[in-house]
Amino acid sequence: MHFRKNKSLFLFIVPGLILYTLFFIVPTLNAVIYSFTDWDGLSPDFTIVGFENYINVLTNDSIFQKAFFNNIKFMLFVLVFQTLFSLIFAMFLIKNTKTNIFLRALYFFPTILSSVSVAFIWTFIYDPNMGVLNTVLDSLNLEFLRQNWLGNQNIAIYSIAVTQVWFHTGQMLIIFVAGLQAIPKHLYEVADIEGARKWDRFRFVTWPMIAPSATIVMAYTTIQSFKAFDLIFAMTRGGPNYSTEILATRIYSTAFRSFEFGYASAQSVIFMFVIAVITVVQFRLLKASRVQE
Amino acid sequence: MIKKVAGITVLALGALLAGCVGGTGGGNSSEDGGEEGTISFIHWRGEDKAVFDELISKFEDENPDISVEMTIYPSEQYQSTAQTLLRDGSTGDVFTSFPGSQFDIINRAGLFEDLSDEGFLEKYNDELISVGQLDGQQLAVPLQLVFNQPVYNVGLFEELGLKPAANWEDFLSLCQDLQDAGYIPIAFPGSDIGPGQLMNSMVMNNAPNEDVFDQLMAGETSLTDDWWIDTLSQFQELDERGFLNQDSLGTNHSGAISLMANEQAAMLGSGSFAMASIKEMNPDLELGLLAPITTTEEEAEWEGIHTTTFMLAVNANSTKKGAAKKFVEFLSDVENAGTYANETGQHVTVEGVEYDSEELKSTIDWTERNTRFQPRFLITNADVEKAVLASIQAVLGGDSPEQAAENAQQIVDQHID
Repeated sequence: MHFRKNKSLFLFIVPGLILYTLFFIVPTLNAVIYSFTDWDGLSPDFTIVGFENYINVLTNDSIFQKAFFNNIKFMLFVLVFQTLFSLIFAMFLIKNTKTNIFLRALYFFPTILSSVSVAFIWTFIYDPNMGVLNTVLDSLNLEFLRQNWLGNQNIAIYSIAVTQVWFHTGQMLIIFVAGLQAIPKHLYEVADIEGARKWDRFRFVTWPMIAPSATIVMAYTTIQSFKAFDLIFAMTRGGPNYSTEILATRIYSTAFRSFEFGYASAQSVIFMFVIAVITVVQFRLLKASRVQE
Repeated sequence: MIKKVAGITVLALGALLAGCVGGTGGGNSSEDGGEEGTISFIHWRGEDKAVFDELISKFEDENPDISVEMTIYPSEQYQSTAQTLLRDGSTGDVFTSFPGSQFDIINRAGLFEDLSDEGFLEKYNDELISVGQLDGQQLAVPLQLVFNQPVYNVGLFEELGLKPAANWEDFLSLCQDLQDAGYIPIAFPGSDIGPGQLMNSMVMNNAPNEDVFDQLMAGETSLTDDWWIDTLSQFQELDERGFLNQDSLGTNHSGAISLMANEQAAMLGSGSFAMASIKEMNPDLELGLLAPITTTEEEAEWEGIHTTTFMLAVNANSTKKGAAKKFVEFLSDVENAGTYANETGQHVTVEGVEYDSEELKSTIDWTERNTRFQPRFLITNADVEKAVLASIQAVLGGDSPEQAAENAQQIVDQHID
């Protein structure tokens, strides 16, 4: 078409392509190459070790395996609650009234905070001795619910997951609101004429119509959950006893504490693969529930 | 049209590349001789900024051809990025290193300039700077001397008629007396530095051999052996009897310092470096140091733990090594080291320094006592170090010492060659 006549148009993508190549493709390929070496990240020399790093990660690295399962727990908790809350809030705030617009902005507000600030706020909330949460529980005579929120290795990962949900629900809410507002009203009118109940309206009209938004929300939430490095690092540094160690913190530790860059690269490649597989599976599952275009 | 777009692209790339290389400017080719110009000094101690500003100003007055640009990184960031920053020689002409795994990593990268022939080494206590030596070379010079055992409230102990204990049974009785009197015996910052600090004095007599962690990495001993199981069991006993503050695994260092400064706790499970912070919050407190003796008095070989750290070094890739060495020499001067010590509340490894702060005077006797170098810093593998500390957290979280030790040893086994 026009591109054949105006080849110059291709030049417009060149700057972006160069930047993408320099800052994404080259580092990614480098990581793949280094994953087959024993490079320490500092020395000029390294040795090719073949698949040894991959074999070690998958068969002989109990911390990585623990981090993987922690990450799955974290991801599932965040995925369920963040999607659920953002969808429920979006359904309540769908109309563009002044109150709703204000509330949407309020819920969105945490998203613009830096992760470190959020971590600081929630570390204070969770403090077992002088934190807001335990103090409120005490004042409501609910002492039996008091917890060492970040110090108890059985619940610490879920405590951080709650913070993650609080942090990003507002962002997902906006995506759902946009999806809900795009649903043609006449579909609901037809459903009403057919005698559909509220649940049927949601199941047969709302959900199929917002499936594309849900796909984005769930894929993004999954990726965010796997990359929640900053929040976890600032709140617990993976402790206590590895109970909040996730793949991203583990890779950081391997690369920048142990200086095993080759090994960390192998962990990163596996990490990318895991996210890719989960995201593709999600896309396929959600595609099935979409309205056929 | 093509020419116009191509031109814009070239300009954009040019700007990008200029941005990439722009940061390395500021040097002067005439400075390659290394005796003058601006040198970069990097370290992790934000709390020392004021005293270093003062010392740098004095240094620049005495050496008008040299200026010092100090950059301070958060401790965690410093441990992870210093090595990378040092590589091209433009940052960190003078830098500092932790002993242990960071020293080992920087050395492997060949970034330490050998300081063995420098005259300023004579100003230091030979024994205390040995941690910066390797293969007969003095690669770094530790400036700080800290003691990594619990800080205690001397006034409170006197009021209750208590004295530091000489064996484990007496230490437990001491804790019981403090608890009976309504105090938290030990404020323990279990969520951050606590395990890495208290483990040192807890393990020092259970494994009196200073090579124990070398042996661990060589597969000659195991965390499931008595020395570590005993240590974990003693941590468990302190926790189960309520001698550590409640929810200690959720308590950070500043929270534990508050418990100590507010006189809710009688001991703080960290080290001498916390004394200045406690005194800042409660200047009326009289503080001392004590180490829990985990054996009988007869079996105890060590009285406490010391660490020589904040190791000053010159970057082997620096183009201003002469100026960098002058700055290290300046910091090694007795008067300047004294300024540093008294204004930061830290002992130093330079000999002949007069300490004038109360907390430094009250702990000066520890320089003469039988202390051993901090065992944790002798673990040169970061994963193994973390596994050792995690096993303490596991026990405080409810695992049995045997199970926690076994899990930690599994990680050690994955790192044994």
